[in-house]
Amino acid sequence: MDATGKGKAVIQTTTLAILSGILYFLLYYFSDYIMNWSQQGGWYFIIPIIIAFILSIVHGTFTNHFWDMLGIKAKSVKK
Amino acid sequence: MLKPFIFLILLLGCSLLGATETIPIETIFPLQWEHAIFLLIVGLVGGLISGFIGSSGAFILTPAMMIIGVPAIVAVASNICHKFPRALVSALKRIRHGLVDIKLAIVIGISAEIGIFCGVSLQIYIRNNFGSTGSNIYVTIIFLLILAILGLYNLRDAKKIFKTGEADLFKRSALSHKVRSINIPGTMMYFPSLETSISVLFTIPIGFFTGLLAANIAVGSFISVPAMIYVLGAGGLMASATQLLIAFIIGIGGTIQYGSSGLVDIRLAMIILSGSLLGVHLGAIAATYAKDYLTKLVTGILMVLILFSLAVKMVVYIHDAGHLQLVADTVTTLNFVSFNLLNLALAVGTIIILYAMINGTIRYNKAQRLMEEELALSPHINENDAMSITQLSPTGRFEKILLVTDRSEATVGATSEAIRLAQRTDGKLIAMSVIMINPEHASLARQLIEKENEDTLSHLEKVRTEATKAGVTCDISVRHGIEIYQEIINEAEQNHVDVIVMGRRGMTGLMRLMMGSNTAKVIGYSQCSVLVVPRTAKINGNKILLAVDGSRYSDIAASATMNIAKHIDASVLVVSVVYSDLKEKRYTEAIQEIKRVESFLTKEGIKVEGEVLSGRPAEVLIEIADAKGVDLIVMGSHGRTGLDRVMLGSVSDRVIGYANCAVLVVKL
Repeated sequence: MDATGKGKAVIQTTTLAILSGILYFLLYYFSDYIMNWSQQGGWYFIIPIIIAFILSIVHGTFTNHFWDMLGIKAKSVKK
Repeated sequence: MLKPFIFLILLLGCSLLGATETIPIETIFPLQWEHAIFLLIVGLVGGLISGFIGSSGAFILTPAMMIIGVPAIVAVASNICHKFPRALVSALKRIRHGLVDIKLAIVIGISAEIGIFCGVSLQIYIRNNFGSTGSNIYVTIIFLLILAILGLYNLRDAKKIFKTGEADLFKRSALSHKVRSINIPGTMMYFPSLETSISVLFTIPIGFFTGLLAANIAVGSFISVPAMIYVLGAGGLMASATQLLIAFIIGIGGTIQYGSSGLVDIRLAMIILSGSLLGVHLGAIAATYAKDYLTKLVTGILMVLILFSLAVKMVVYIHDAGHLQLVADTVTTLNFVSFNLLNLALAVGTIIILYAMINGTIRYNKAQRLMEEELALSPHINENDAMSITQLSPTGRFEKILLVTDRSEATVGATSEAIRLAQRTDGKLIAMSVIMINPEHASLARQLIEKENEDTLSHLEKVRTEATKAGVTCDISVRHGIEIYQEIINEAEQNHVDVIVMGRRGMTGLMRLMMGSNTAKVIGYSQCSVLVVPRTAKINGNKILLAVDGSRYSDIAASATMNIAKHIDASVLVVSVVYSDLKEKRYTEAIQEIKRVESFLTKEGIKVEGEVLSGRPAEVLIEIADAKGVDLIVMGSHGRTGLDRVMLGSVSDRVIGYANCAVLVVKL
C-alpha cells in the first residue's frame, strides 16, 4: 500500500472507530430506556434487532480494517 | 434472484407468528462496570479463540455469561442475537462468488425455524415451571454433553494429526452416497451445490436439530456443517458458505422469538460483540501461521477446561435448586473455582494462540527475507532489470504480468491469455489467488479454509506447469484478505507489475450495482493497466480497437496500443464516439484526434484505420468491435472511484461488462 493508500486507510479506520464509539456511548446513555422497551417483548423485539444490525455493521467494518491498518495480516504463500 | 429473498421474508414472518407469549419481566441483570470489563475481555479472548480454532465461540461466551450470574436463558438469547447481521454480510459476499446454495440454505432454514421454535418454547417452559435455576441446570446439562463429546473428539483428532500429519479434509462419506441414491417420490428436490436431487426428508432433520441446538446453546453449526458434508455430500467450502445464510436465518429467527418474550439483553450482546469482532479477526490471522494439530489441541483443552468450570458451577445450581445443602463458604469456593477455571481456559487459549502467531510470523518473515535475497542474486532477474532499462514507458511495458485466477470457469480465458501475453512479450508471470477471510467464515471451520488453501495452491501449480510448457517463468502467490481487490492491488504494487490480467464474472445490472465488482475496483485503485478477459475470448492479433476521446488518458492508451500491436502484429482501429448536444463541433475535434493518433501509430509501422461514430459510447464500441472482428479493445481510464463512479458511471466499466472480447484499461 502506498502512502496515500495508508493515509486513506487510517482516516477510514479512525472514522469508523469514532462512529462505533459514538454508537456504544448512545447504547450506554440510553440503556435504561432500551432495556425497558426491549424487555416488554412482543413487537419490541425489533429494538435489539435494529441495534444489533447497526452496531455489527459499523463495529464489524471497523475491526476488519483495524488489524489490516496495523499491518497484521494473514500469511501469504509465495512459491 | 429475488425469489429466495421474498421467501426468506415470508419465513421470518412465520417465525414472528410462531413467537411465544411475553413473559413478565422479573429483573434486568444488574450490569456493573466490572461485569462490562470482564465481558469485553471474554468477548475479545472468545473471539480470538473462535477465529483461531475455526468454531463458534458460543461455547465460551454463553458459559462465561452464566458464570458471572446472567440467567442461562438470557445468556443464550443474547448470544444468538449478536451474530446474525455479520453472518448476512458474509453470506452476501459469498453469494457474490457463487459459493452459497441459497435453495439449500432456505430449505434447511425452514426446518431450523421449527427447531428454533421448539427449542425456545422448551426453554421458556422450563424457566416458567422450574424457575431460573431449573433453566440454568437445563442449559448447563446440554453444554456439559456437547463439550464432553466435542472436547474429547478434538483431543483425539489433535493426537491423530500430530502423529500422521494429515488432517481430515471432509471427504465425501459412504453415508452421503447412500443418501444420494435414495429416491422417495414426492419429496425429491434438486440442489445446485449437490448437483443432484435429494429427498427433503433428509434435510428436515438436519435443519430441525440445528435450530433446536441453536435455541439451547446459541450455536447450531456443530450439526449443520458436518451434516451437509457427511450426510448430503456437499463440498466443504459450499457447506461453510451456505451455513452463513443458515446462521442468519437461525439468528434472526431466534432473536425474534427470544426478543418477543423480552429475553434478549442487548447490552450484554453488544459488549460481547465489541470484543469478539476484534478478537475473531486476529484469531483467523493467527490461524494461518499455526500448525493443524495445534488448533485441535487448543479446542480440546479449552472445551475440557470449560467443561470442568461448568461442572463445578452445576453443583452451585443444584444447591440453588434446593436439592443439595452446602454451607455458604463452600458455595463461595465453588463459584471461585468455577470462575477461575474459566479464566484459566481463556488464559491458556490466549497464550498458545499469541505464541503461535508471534513465532509463526518471525519464521515466515525470515523465510521471506531469505527468498528475496536469493531472488536478488538470481541472474534471471538481472536480465529482466536490463530489459526494464531499455524500455522507459511504463504504460507500454508488459514485462511483469499479474494473473488473478481462481478455480472458476470465469478465469479460464484470463489464464490462457496471460500466458500467451507473457510468451509474446518475454515477460514474467505471477499467478495469484486471493482467499477471502472474514470472521464468520473463519469461525465456522478452519479446516475448510485449509482445504481452500490446498485447492488454490494446486490450481496455481497447474497454471505454473502450463506456463512453463509455454516457456514462461511463473511465480505463484496466495493471499488472504478481507477485500479481494485490495489484495490484488497490494500484490501488484509489491511486485511492480505492468499489467493485471483478470477474468470476468457474468454479473450485470442491479446485482453489479449492489454487490460492486472487484474488477471495477481494481481498475479504479490500481496504478497499472488492467486486462479483462471474458471466458472464451482470445487475443489472436486480428485487430485492436483503440478508443480515444481527446483526453490525456487516450494518449496513454495509444502508447500502450502501439506496444501491443508490435508484439502481436495486429492492425489498429482507432474509434472516437461523439455523444453530445454539440455533435458537429465534437465531430471535428474527433477527426483531428483520430488523425493525430493515426499519425503516431503509422510512424511506428502499424497499419491503422480510423472511424468517428455517434451514439452511446459503450454500446457503440461493443457493436463495432463485434462487427469488425476485434479481439482486443484498449481504452484509457479516468480512474474514477467510489461515489463518483456510481454517479457518473464509467464507459470502461460498461465495455468490460458487455464486450465479447478482451478489454485493456490503461492507467495513467
